[in-house]
Amino acid sequence: MIEVQSISKHYQHGGKSIAALDNVSLQIASGEIYGIIGRSGAGKSTLIRCLNLLERPDSGHVSLHGEDITRLDERALQQRRQRIGMVFQHFNLLRSRTVAANVRFPLELAGGQSPAQMDARVDELLALVGLQDHKHKRPSQLSGGQKQRVGIARALANHPDLLLCDEATSALDPETTDAILALLADINRQLGLTIVLITHDMRVIRQLCDSVAVLDHGRVVEQGKVLDVFLAPQHAVTQSLLAETGMGQGALQGIWRQRVATPVIKLTFVGEPTLQPVLDKVGREVGLRVNLLSGTLSEIKDTPFGQLLAGVVASDVDVSALPAIFAREGVRCEVL
Amino acid sequence: MLDLDWNLLLEIDWVEIGGATLDTLTMLGVSMLFTVLAGLPLGVLLFISAPGQLRARPRLYAVLSFLVNVLRSLPFVILLIVLMPFTLLLVGTSIGVAGAIVPLVVGAVPFFARLVENVLREVDRGVIEASQSMGARLSHIVFKVLLPESLPGLIGAATVTAVALVGYTAMSGVIGGGGLGDLAIRYGYQRFQTEIMIVTVVLLLALVQGLQSAGDSLVRRCRFD
Repeated sequence: MIEVQSISKHYQHGGKSIAALDNVSLQIASGEIYGIIGRSGAGKSTLIRCLNLLERPDSGHVSLHGEDITRLDERALQQRRQRIGMVFQHFNLLRSRTVAANVRFPLELAGGQSPAQMDARVDELLALVGLQDHKHKRPSQLSGGQKQRVGIARALANHPDLLLCDEATSALDPETTDAILALLADINRQLGLTIVLITHDMRVIRQLCDSVAVLDHGRVVEQGKVLDVFLAPQHAVTQSLLAETGMGQGALQGIWRQRVATPVIKLTFVGEPTLQPVLDKVGREVGLRVNLLSGTLSEIKDTPFGQLLAGVVASDVDVSALPAIFAREGVRCEVL
Repeated sequence: MLDLDWNLLLEIDWVEIGGATLDTLTMLGVSMLFTVLAGLPLGVLLFISAPGQLRARPRLYAVLSFLVNVLRSLPFVILLIVLMPFTLLLVGTSIGVAGAIVPLVVGAVPFFARLVENVLREVDRGVIEASQSMGARLSHIVFKVLLPESLPGLIGAATVTAVALVGYTAMSGVIGGGGLGDLAIRYGYQRFQTEIMIVTVVLLLALVQGLQSAGDSLVRRCRFD
């Protein structure tokens, strides 16, 4: 369990004090993938750096598995950091070292291992990220995706109990992004490793995360399970982040709202019902005929979900009775 | 046009030129060695103590930076004279090749240290941050990150410093330091033996060219791509 207890961080800028983080609290369960999303300048970069104290909060505490790291002295903190992996947007590999030597670097810092042990561990890690064949190359000879794999191998070297990802896929093309996200999911499953990531991309959250916190102007404006936040975003920032990535659902905007004269229902399918002909079944039962306005079918992490917006053209029962009827089929229905 | 009598070349005292070359190489070699030994740590100290850096000590940085600037703004000829008592104390003589090495080092160290500081500033901050995130101590960062990552730049800085030192050695004649530059001034300039001046200048040019090529080829060999 990782607990962030009301941390704040201010920067001085031109004589004014600007809050990068304003009383932020988070609880991150062990073994989960926790996403922090926000626009640039929302404070997410500062927040993730508070988790290994690359940035020290002005107030508040950060505890990792019950240990308050804000109380550690410098030496103890350095030791603790050896077991907190971090992956960076721009990879931050040492140009002067080969791939293998880059992965070996944190092992050298930690000490206590013979060269043979370190080499064995490096081979193990390179196999894990699929870079055995590039062992002796320099970072400059690798593609972006390969560099990030080196970054991930390096971050895992000292058997961390927490992996921090600082916009790990933001510098990569979409295909490579998918591959890196798959690798992170794999690592999370295989090693049971807790991962905290920051991103500005809702797709990353949807594909990878179990829980999410939405950050805006240094404050957490919404947090919860990804499924809940995606299906029922409460805060305007969350809604607009979803809308920008084409994942905003269930709102009939502006002019369309006025042009549709019939009552509108929103159906939300999560899990098994997504794959069943629920609308057809209910339609036959209660004589419901609809005009489909919009629909999505997608997946959040490994859970399929769908949403439909439909105008009710005809129905044997009153529209207000529909939610209860759909609920029997495991589908949420809201009358808009 | 210069009226040159190249027959004089036969009369040139090549032994003296050989000795002067040796003096120049000695002054250059020894002072370069001490310049790197003192300048590299000073450059690292300047870098890490600068405001906003790894061990920011703004007041220490301001003092060091001022001293470096003072030494760099003094013309080398003046440094030669001013340092004479100090040189005498340090090496037992204030004249000759040995006496010249102290002011050469004192003149070159601040120059080299400032170059080192600038080279270190070019190291990607992200790489330093990544090392910190892995629990690196300051000594790790200096010896495993800063110096290896900036090696090509450091060799370049050393090359520039060595070439500057060749120029400084020419003035060491003022205190009887000898060397090629001194020969050029005494015979060529003061006794109008232009031929000797040309010979020494050609030798100095060859030396500078040699240093630069050697430096460049080292930089090429340790580039990271």
